[in-house]
Amino acid sequence: MKTAPWLVLAGAVAGFLGVLGFHRPASANALGAAAGPTAAARASVPAAGPAASAPGARSAATPAASSRAPATAAAGRATGPIEQYGYGELTARVTVSAGRITDVQLPVIRTAEQYSQQLASQVIPLLRREVLAAQSANINAVSGATYTSQAYALSVQAALDKLHFK
Amino acid sequence: MSSPPVSFGVPPSSAARNRKRKAVRAPASPRPRPALARAALVVAGAGLGATTALAVTSETASQLSAPGGLLTFAGSLTGLVGTYLALMMVLLVSRIPFIERVAGQDGLLRWHRAIAPWPISLLAAHALLLTVGYAQAARTGVWHETGTLLTKYPDMLTATAGLALMCLIGVISYRALRRRLRRETWWLIHLWMYLALAISFAHVIVLGPSFVGHPLTQVVWSAAWAGSAGLVLCYRVGLPAVRSVRHRLTVTEVQPEGPGVVSVICTGRHLDRLAVSGGQFFCWRFLAPGMWWQAHPYSLSALPQPPYLRLTVKGRGDHSRSLARLRPGTRVAIEGPYGTFTRYAQQRPRALLVAAGIGVTALRALLEDLPRSAAPVVLLRAGRPEDLVLHAEVTELVRQRRGQIHELIGSREQAAIDEVSLPRLVPDLKHRDVYVCGPEGFVAAIVDVAANLGVPPDAIHHEAFAL
Repeated sequence: MKTAPWLVLAGAVAGFLGVLGFHRPASANALGAAAGPTAAARASVPAAGPAASAPGARSAATPAASSRAPATAAAGRATGPIEQYGYGELTARVTVSAGRITDVQLPVIRTAEQYSQQLASQVIPLLRREVLAAQSANINAVSGATYTSQAYALSVQAALDKLHFK
Repeated sequence: MSSPPVSFGVPPSSAARNRKRKAVRAPASPRPRPALARAALVVAGAGLGATTALAVTSETASQLSAPGGLLTFAGSLTGLVGTYLALMMVLLVSRIPFIERVAGQDGLLRWHRAIAPWPISLLAAHALLLTVGYAQAARTGVWHETGTLLTKYPDMLTATAGLALMCLIGVISYRALRRRLRRETWWLIHLWMYLALAISFAHVIVLGPSFVGHPLTQVVWSAAWAGSAGLVLCYRVGLPAVRSVRHRLTVTEVQPEGPGVVSVICTGRHLDRLAVSGGQFFCWRFLAPGMWWQAHPYSLSALPQPPYLRLTVKGRGDHSRSLARLRPGTRVAIEGPYGTFTRYAQQRPRALLVAAGIGVTALRALLEDLPRSAAPVVLLRAGRPEDLVLHAEVTELVRQRRGQIHELIGSREQAAIDEVSLPRLVPDLKHRDVYVCGPEGFVAAIVDVAANLGVPPDAIHHEAFAL
């Protein structure tokens, strides 16, 4: 059949477009069940630090130093965008005071299914410790949780950028 | 058993005999439907496009720019596409009847072989890319990451074993190596591919970012795999088993036909219900000691004459030589009928049939099945006069159909069929389909000559047998 390659190509384009049109991010549908506050991943996120209750600390960045002064002067709190990764989505909220990262929390962490939840609950404390130790988002991914680590680092970096923290 | 030998001669062409013969003649195999095969191609393409889209949708721009992001994306893309192509490879050899009837088993096998290197190399790339990508993301060494992948991730150990098995079989199937193996040995090794695919399946569903959290994708993907497995079981195992039990063929007689050539005549039940066209072949499994575990393809050398079937074989390999020693009463299992070398392939009003050596068997059955209007011209090539087996039957069939027969005896140089001699033998070539059957080299040569003489590819049909 001479037309065979064209038939396959036509089918491929249709299939590709069909899936693109039909696709919803994992978080929008299937993750609903795991999104509740009782989810295992949520429970193990480090408890909110003292800075969390500070008044005026909205999700928008509130940098203390609005000038383009050296970043070490930065202070305040900022929330990164929602990072979607293969197995779910998360948002990091970073607290900076006196030019140091003092806390990282995850106001949003939704994972797809049990394995990812379990994984998230194990690695998130590790990732937080790494950020606090490195004083940057430039951290090593936890092996076995590459996607989660990437999303975590990206969200932390975005929050730090809002604070002009370097 | 001292019954007289079964005669498989050509029935006389008197009208009365024809009517009688039609009553017991087996029904023709169903007509090929190219539209169905085309639809299958579109569906296969759609699957490929959808699979690619799955890989694309599970990535975000920020992930791509993160350390190891590009490699991770390339890894999941190669994994998905490689797995999908592996599934297509399985379907290409699953003997789905409506596809088989259009593309033919040799056509499908050609595709199977052409695609073969892709899934294996894509899946190997998938493993390498993801290991390096994850190692980059974790800022750790590749070997350390390999250990993590194997020990910490679920279902990764079996998937890796599957990939290793796949690569091993891939290397063995490489032409140069494969030639050193016996066909049966290679075939048995090849079957392990199903195991390799089966044990690699789980890690896709459990770990694939396109699948986790997408229950619909998981269900559709699983259904595609289960469905394919079902098709393979149904058409490669189930249907042949049912046919074999139903027709319960046994060897009745082995008749010598020429130097090293024998006809095996089998008796079976309900052969008037076995739909087969002249020129088709079965895979025959003779349930005798040392032979039961291998099935070999041989054409029917005549249309069934219930309760008899006949195949004619030249002793070339171990298997075909051992056919001469078959005992009457040996049970026979069949797979088939397969093949597109039939009257349905005919595009033009008349036909030219060319056969070399033992290729005459398929031609003999096809000749019996061609419409009378085909006024067949038959060219038989043989090294020596005694190698012209089934000659009397072919001559009689040609005479009944008011055709012509030419015997070309001698070496290739002495009795060449080329661009000069063929038009002289067949002046009305442009009104004829060309059917060629014989050894690979012969078939290729005749196909070339016919094409050079302006016969369009659609009107050239061939059945080559490899040694």
